[in-house]
Formats: sequence, C-alpha cells, structure tokens
Amino acid sequence: MTALMKQKRTVSSMLVLLLTGLFVLAFLFPYIYLVMTSLKPGTEVVSTTPTLFPTVFTMDSFRKMFDVLPMVKYFGNSFFTAIASTSVSVFLGSLAAYGLSRFSSKLGNMFLLLTLTVRMVPLISVAVPMYGIINKLGLYDTKLALVLIYTSINIPFVIWMMIGFFDGLPKELDESARVDGCSRLGAFLKIILPVSLPGLATTAIFSYMMSWNDFLMGLMMTSTNAKTMPVGLSEFLGAYNLDLGPMTAAAVCFSFPVLIFSIMIQKYIVSGMTMGAVKE
Amino acid sequence: MTKSDRRTALLFFSPAAGFMILFFVYPMFLLVRDSLFDSKTGTEFVGADNYVNALTSERFYKSLYNTVIFVVGAVSIELIIGLILALLLSTGFKGSNFARTLFLSPLMIAPLVAGLIWKFMLNDQFGILNSFLFKLGLIDSPQSILWLSDERYALLSCMIADIWLTTPFMMLVLLAGIQGISGSLYEAANIDGASRMQRFWYITLPSLKPVIVVAVLIRMIDAARSFDIIWVLTQGGPNFASSLLSTMIYNTMARYNQAGYASALSILFIIILISICGIFMLRLWNPNKKAV
Repeated sequence: MTALMKQKRTVSSMLVLLLTGLFVLAFLFPYIYLVMTSLKPGTEVVSTTPTLFPTVFTMDSFRKMFDVLPMVKYFGNSFFTAIASTSVSVFLGSLAAYGLSRFSSKLGNMFLLLTLTVRMVPLISVAVPMYGIINKLGLYDTKLALVLIYTSINIPFVIWMMIGFFDGLPKELDESARVDGCSRLGAFLKIILPVSLPGLATTAIFSYMMSWNDFLMGLMMTSTNAKTMPVGLSEFLGAYNLDLGPMTAAAVCFSFPVLIFSIMIQKYIVSGMTMGAVKE
Repeated sequence: MTKSDRRTALLFFSPAAGFMILFFVYPMFLLVRDSLFDSKTGTEFVGADNYVNALTSERFYKSLYNTVIFVVGAVSIELIIGLILALLLSTGFKGSNFARTLFLSPLMIAPLVAGLIWKFMLNDQFGILNSFLFKLGLIDSPQSILWLSDERYALLSCMIADIWLTTPFMMLVLLAGIQGISGSLYEAANIDGASRMQRFWYITLPSLKPVIVVAVLIRMIDAARSFDIIWVLTQGGPNFASSLLSTMIYNTMARYNQAGYASALSILFIIILISICGIFMLRLWNPNKKAV
C-alpha cells in the first residue's frame, strides 16, 4: 500500500467517525434534553433562554409529580395490563401459530390472511366500534377491557412471529415426542415451547412494548380507574398548564427503565425488528 | 390429514381466533353497519349518505392529502438517513456496535413521550430549537418560527418527531440487509477495480432492494396509522393544517360525536390503506414479474 492510499484511508475513516458522532448526538439530544429538563427547577423549565444543562440540579419535579398525578396507580395499571396481555397473547398466539404451522388447512389459511389484514387496519378505525362493545360488556374503565383489547391487537403479531419460528423446527421433534406417548398438546407444551424460548422472548418483548406504549386505546377506554401512564402524561397538556417540570419527570420515569432494560436485551430486539424484513 | 388431526388443528387456533373474531371481525361488521346509519341518533338508515358526505367534504381531502404528504415525506427522509447511518455503521469501525446501541434508544420510547419531547423542544416561547437557530443567526428572534401553531410548519413538525422516532428502525433493518450481502461480491468488484461509488450503485443498492421495499412498506403502513405524535403536538390543527385521517376520525368520533360519519371515514381509510398495500405486495410477490 502506498503512503498516499494509507493517508486517504485514514481520512475517510475519520470522516465516518465524525459523521456517525454527529448523528449520534442529533439522535440522543432530544432525550438527553428531556432528562436534563426534569432535573431543572420549575422556573428554568420554561425559561425563554433555554439551556441544555440545569444551573442547579434538583429533584423538585420528581417530588411534585406525585402531587399532580396518581403516578403509582397509573404506573401499576400500565404494568399490569401490559404484563397480562403479553402473557395471554403470547400463549394463545403461539398455540395458534403451532397449529397453523403443523396442519395446513383452508380454514387455517383464511385465518392467516385475516391476521395479515389486521396488521394494515388503522387502530383508530376499530377503536370506534370496540368502544361500543366494551361499553356493552360493562367493561368501560376497567383493566380487563385493556387486557382484552391489547391481547387481540397482539395476537396477530405473535402468530406471524412464531409461525416462522415453528416452521424452522424439524417435524421429527414432534413425532419423537408423540412416539414417547405425548399428546399433541403435550408435545407442544413440553417439547416445542422450551425449544422456542428465544423466539418467544423476542415476541414477548415486542408485545409488551406495544401494550406499554399504547395511548389511543387507553385514551378511549378509560377515564379514572384504569388510566394508564401515557394517558396520564397527555393530560399535562390539557388546560393552561405551565408547570411542565413534573410532566418531564413523569415522562422520564415512564421511559427510562424501559430504555435501560431494552439496551440490556438488545440482542432480542435487533433480531425481532429484522426478522420480518431480512431473510437469513 | 386425518379427521382427528383436523380437530386438533382447530383446537390449537380456536382460542386465538375467538379473540380476533370478537375484537376485530365483529367490530369491522359493526363499523360497516354504523356507517350506513345517521350520525345523530344512529337509528335511521341513511344508505350511502355518510360516504357521499365524506367524499364531497373538503376536510376529508385535506386530511387525505396531509396523510399522503406525511407518509411520503417522513418515510423517504427516514429511508435516506437510515441508509446513510446503515452505511456508516457497516464499515464496522471500532465502537460501531456501541453507536448502534445508542441509535436504538428512540425506538424504545413511546410515541406519546416522543411527542411530548418535541412539543417541548418546538415550543415557540421556551423551545430550545428556536433558541438554537437564533444563536446560529438563522432566525431574527427566538419566537419567529411558530412550529406548532403556524399552518405552514405544523405538519412538518409532526414529521420531524416521527423521523426522529423511527429512523433507527430503518437503519437497523438496512444494516442487517447490508451485513447479509455476500462479501465475495465486493471482492470480485475490487479485483475489477470498482470505485467505492460503483460498489455502492452496482452491488449494495441492488442487493438491498428487497429489504428496502419491505422496510418501506412496513414504515408506510405505520406512518399512515400514526396518531399519538400528531395528537400530542397539534391535535390536527391549526385550522386542519396537520389533520391526518387518523386524527380526523378521532375528532369526528370523540369531539363531534358523529359515530356514523366516523365509521364511514374509517371504512374509507381501511380501503385506501389495504389497496395500497395490496398493490405493493402484488408487485413484490408476483413470481411472473421481476421483483420490483
């Protein structure tokens, strides 16, 4: 390699580093700004000459947010509905996916087409009649309503994720389990599910995120009792509310744990996001 | 397949099917029914009146137009930035894995929180973006761009928030696609003395095409359906400047309480989305044609 080429190479790799660095800064800035704002004293939050870092670090906003918002309750509601709907939808969805993967039938194919269509239907469209159904069942403003709705939103997603996974497992696995005297369901529960744990984990993480991050369904189906965090957060924007410090603090509390957790388990997240689009 | 096999299969997917019938098929049926009844009482059959009203309403076309602008604008910028980021990271420099992790962070943030963050940053009184532009000398005063309350900028502001939130998804998928391209192609190109630009145009881009199409399709569907960000930032205002079909349906339902009209709008929205996806997919999966 000539000296000139070497030089050219260093310059271009420096350029790559520089550009990446700039983009990283640009993408991280909004969130860092949120976190920094939550640590500012109230007057600084809405200062007309905003700065990135607070002049004094204070936990005031975090203390105040409990007065403005029943944080613990909303947090609990979000957590409960997300966990419950994830468990139910992952179990029922993978059961269905297994059935569809192992026995193909006309009915099954129609069902598969239905799950695909559901992916394209805007949530707001079904939310309108869903509201009526939930009301009729007497479930308005209950956690059960949200669990039922999140479960049915997540099931088609779980089916699509898990069908690919089950298709990749050799049929001999089921057959040997059956020879050993397992029923179909037994083979599924004892053999197939444990082998599919990585796929299940990825799917569960995404189901959880979908429920946890939902705003629209929470907005339409709850009022006080079952309200979730996103809906609670959105209410800061109602009326003339200039006390935005607690809002930023609550937003940090809502998003920070998830952010840290997702960085820890990013292997699953990356595989889940690229699963649909990139064939290995 | 034996009869008992068929029965087992049915057993396996009937619980899931039950859920979907109760919370998707049945609501769809209700939606169609409601769309044929009047908006005030919901008891009088009005035929296609709601559809006629929608298709002759200026607001519907305005929202449809905004939705198209929002989807096309946001997704194409996401594609361009996502591709640049994927290419940068694919050079595999020291620390590129760490950079990828950092880029992932917006993806894990709820759209609602993303909306709140941008509402804060774009505020015309204490927003940091205007103050930054002012310090750079690009604008005359920190209050001169009303990002959220000026009709010219409202939709753009929503797009900025969406781009921030979902470009990382684009980057991630494209990066996986680039890493899946066989290295031997590049080696062969190197032997032939191809320049960096040529390698990009003749190897990377064509090999990446199927991945790009799928990623764009996924993003288009999700962008068209998005509601949270727009709701937090502008609620579709001012004067419907950032009204998308999703916010228009919500407003029709929740503010004006016109269930029949909202249902008709919903049906139209579903038809439009599914037919666009259908066209996309037919082109993608038709074995007789070359893939897109």
